[in-house]
Amino acid sequence: MIAEQQLLTFLLDILAYFAIYLAVNTSLNLEYGLTGIPNFGKVLAVAGGAFVVGAIPGRVLANYLGILQGFKAVETNPALSVCREPLLILVKIKPKILEGMDYIEDNSVVGDCIRRVMANDPMLSVTLLVATVGLAAAVGAALGFVASYPAIRLREDYLAMTLLAMGEFLAQVGYLESNLVGGTKGVFAPDPYGWLGEYRITASQLVILLVALIFFFYMWQISLSPAGRVLKSIRDHEVAAEVLGKDVVRVKQKVLIVSSLMASVAGALWAFNSQSVIASNYDRFTWTFWPWVMVIIGGAGNYKGILLGTAVFVILRRTIDTYRYVLEPLIPFSLVWLDRLLFGIALIIVLIVRPQGILPDRPTPAIQKPYLRKIIETIRQQK
Amino acid sequence: MIIDPIIRDAVIFASMLSLLTLGLTLTYLTTKVPNFAHGSFASIGMMSMLTFTQLFGLNPYLSVIPIFFIGGGVALVLYLFVLRPLISREASFVSQMVATIAFELILVAVLNIYADYFTQTFKIQSRGFLIRRADVRIFDQPGVFIAAPTLAIAGVLILFMVLNKTRFGVGLRAAIENPPLAGSLGINVKRMYTYSWFIAGGLGSVAGSLLALWFQGKPDYGSTMLISIFAAAIVGGLQNIYGAVIGGYLLGFVEILGTRQLGLSIGPWMTVYRPLIPILAMAITLIFAPRGLAAVNWRGLFRYFVKGVGV
Repeated sequence: MIAEQQLLTFLLDILAYFAIYLAVNTSLNLEYGLTGIPNFGKVLAVAGGAFVVGAIPGRVLANYLGILQGFKAVETNPALSVCREPLLILVKIKPKILEGMDYIEDNSVVGDCIRRVMANDPMLSVTLLVATVGLAAAVGAALGFVASYPAIRLREDYLAMTLLAMGEFLAQVGYLESNLVGGTKGVFAPDPYGWLGEYRITASQLVILLVALIFFFYMWQISLSPAGRVLKSIRDHEVAAEVLGKDVVRVKQKVLIVSSLMASVAGALWAFNSQSVIASNYDRFTWTFWPWVMVIIGGAGNYKGILLGTAVFVILRRTIDTYRYVLEPLIPFSLVWLDRLLFGIALIIVLIVRPQGILPDRPTPAIQKPYLRKIIETIRQQK
Repeated sequence: MIIDPIIRDAVIFASMLSLLTLGLTLTYLTTKVPNFAHGSFASIGMMSMLTFTQLFGLNPYLSVIPIFFIGGGVALVLYLFVLRPLISREASFVSQMVATIAFELILVAVLNIYADYFTQTFKIQSRGFLIRRADVRIFDQPGVFIAAPTLAIAGVLILFMVLNKTRFGVGLRAAIENPPLAGSLGINVKRMYTYSWFIAGGLGSVAGSLLALWFQGKPDYGSTMLISIFAAAIVGGLQNIYGAVIGGYLLGFVEILGTRQLGLSIGPWMTVYRPLIPILAMAITLIFAPRGLAAVNWRGLFRYFVKGVGV
């Protein structure tokens, strides 16, 4: 029974990681696989979305409910009756919170109170979820536009350098600036699934999976559509696309806006899922390099490749992570570095030996295959 | 002589940044792909300096010589075993960039593994270490304060002499300018590129090793410095090694002094936004002068603004 429970947790864990990375990889595939934009700053949009979750809804709610005015305000507000009891104990330890609370400094107290309020209010929870994700999407789109603006007209290496620098900038600021998302200590994220009780984790994971599948379906359909062929023409030969009247810069900008929006929504949902935002979790390795590894190993441009790459990578990494305790005593260093080392080597080998990935991208027919066969049949019969 | 410590920070940082930028530009000229692992060469230098001075008790300025060869050797591994196979298979620019990123992943991992091992085995701190005490004093100043700018300027002068006055340098320039033509004249282009990668890696490591004598060292110092290196290279134009040195010095000084100035005039919380300075410099350069300072028509600008004549 316990073993089954463990297995189930393990599978759900893999599913959550699969879903989140599917969403991020889908957005990267839209950029790199279809359009050829080397976005080495994927972390920018993901962290942007997560930081929105950490910085904004909690503050808004705390202000709206008046928690920040201190315990006296909490006592008089009937909506906050749920957090009276725990606060009563806390006041004895830390009398300062009688007068007022600081959002960052007393983050755990404020967070706990908000969580209690939200657990009893499904309406508020859902509204908050939708509003925050919408805001994160807008912020992500804006980040995608702004970050790429200086270099979008230049050669791809300038764009790559600029995007990497922008992503690194946001990650560093998030880590060092304590007013944004608490810096090194992190902040709580409001829990919009709290009212579901014990099903909250499952619900959150299902929401991520659903969103990831929507993104994936969108990317897949784009890749089959005329718009997808425009993107691929830009990837394969920018000048040729320009000669045929496509505004390459505009198309690239649009792609970056849409894909950053996707990544940002993914980041926001991930922050809600993990119930906290710690800036050091949003680093270049986790949210830029791993997606690149997955997209390239799976096969950039091919939607099946993205699914395969994500699945293989996530299962491998989660398995290593879960059995960490078996391996850890055997090696004299942290296991984190070992999987970076191994996947770095794997990526280089794949790039040299099979640069198109496991499932290479193939030209998509303008007409679906069954129709094509039917047309060929009719032509043959006419002869 | 009393010197404001911030000036020391700025001089050392700017000198070493210009050496790193020089290396990045040198490799960019050969393969036309920015090396995303270049920052980590500085980290290699840092960790080597820690090992040589703390473990072997070597003089820091003698250690610079082996460190140059270590960095150069790692750069050769990247060029010969990663980039050259990719180039010979006609891989795209993006694939080559991803390969350098993957190499950075490997370097950071190896350096961190080394740091873990180092701390466990020798009980010496390897993250956030300060080894200023290993430095010698010259003219009652910390040695690195004199050595860093001297080395940077000497490096540029030597490179200038080599590139312009020797057969090797002329061959290297020819191989960069026009590889097929240089090849037809009997210059071994691939070997020339190999040399420039070796020099770039070596200079990067030496820069990192001297940075370790002044700033707090850690195995991923170079990765975080990558923004500054890229910004300096872009300001310098990415196509010109002298532009790279100017860009490195300019941005190094602006980054350190500008951060302090912002902290003083707006508030200490501004210092967190230090990376904003190289990013803004990068964005402004890319928007207004994408080919860098070296390519700006200064005389024309002067005439336009001062004498009012059209550019």
